[in-house]
Amino acid sequence: MALKIMVIDDSPTVVKFVSFSLKKNGYDVITACDGMDAIEKISNLSDEVSLIITDLNMPNLDGYGLIEVLRQNQEHADTPIIILSSEDGDDDRERGMEVGASSYLVKPFKASVLITEVSKYLN
Amino acid sequence: MSENQPLQFKIQEEITELAASVNEIVSRFRELQNPLRESSEKVPIATEQLDKISEQTEAATHQMLDRVEKIVQQVEDSKKGLDEIKVYTKDGRTGDISALADVLIEKASVTCNDAYIIMDALQFQDITSQQMNHAASLLEDIEFRLQSIMGALKGQPDDEADGDNQQNKRDRVYDPHADLFDKRTDQSAIDDIFARKG
Repeated sequence: MALKIMVIDDSPTVVKFVSFSLKKNGYDVITACDGMDAIEKISNLSDEVSLIITDLNMPNLDGYGLIEVLRQNQEHADTPIIILSSEDGDDDRERGMEVGASSYLVKPFKASVLITEVSKYLN
Repeated sequence: MSENQPLQFKIQEEITELAASVNEIVSRFRELQNPLRESSEKVPIATEQLDKISEQTEAATHQMLDRVEKIVQQVEDSKKGLDEIKVYTKDGRTGDISALADVLIEKASVTCNDAYIIMDALQFQDITSQQMNHAASLLEDIEFRLQSIMGALKGQPDDEADGDNQQNKRDRVYDPHADLFDKRTDQSAIDDIFARKG
């Protein structure tokens, strides 16, 4: 069975692009448009999510808040989380790491770089 | 006491009131200076953002058009190759068919790669949408400040002017630093930060 990856971004373009790249590489993808939507969907899933890719700037609940919530949940305490953001400052990266992200990618990105990063955790 | 004294008092009183009014107007104008200065500072940032959108949209579009041109050429070459394969099949030239098939497979792989490059470039939509939201937010802020000034000049209370403005204001979530270029995207440098702190 294909590994499941959750993609969270308020930009439909990014969600479509990331989903396409992941599906082409054999992953199963579920999507959410913000942190709240992600929590709702992830809590209703019967299957395990192997990896999470999230944006930072999102309405309702941003990426930092989402990661904090997920890290407090035993089920997702160790799930790899990749931040995908157009913020490229060291402060954002360090804050991402402090809240518990596993890795950080800067937009715009190449699909091949994303797949390499995902493979680091899922291979 | 002279006969003119009541008149003098009256004039003095009027002048004092006039001076107080002038002082109030002066302080009101001073209050208006801040929003005006802040608004004028935001206009160049919004303009810069709009120029950036125009430049980056143009660059991404050119990149995509170049790739589409290449893809069209590769598909036309592939069609020619397939026609040749039909001829070779008729003539039973299996060796030539195999060699041509290899060429066509290579072309298909290049085409696929070009399609990925177009997809990468399409991310400009997300980036420019964030830049537009940033510019729109700056312009809305300027509009809000100008409305406050208009309200103050009309003697309208601040919260009344705020209310009118908030009704039209949209919630915008964006990254003010979104950029297609000028990005530090070296993944090994990012991984280093995570490794050092981790």
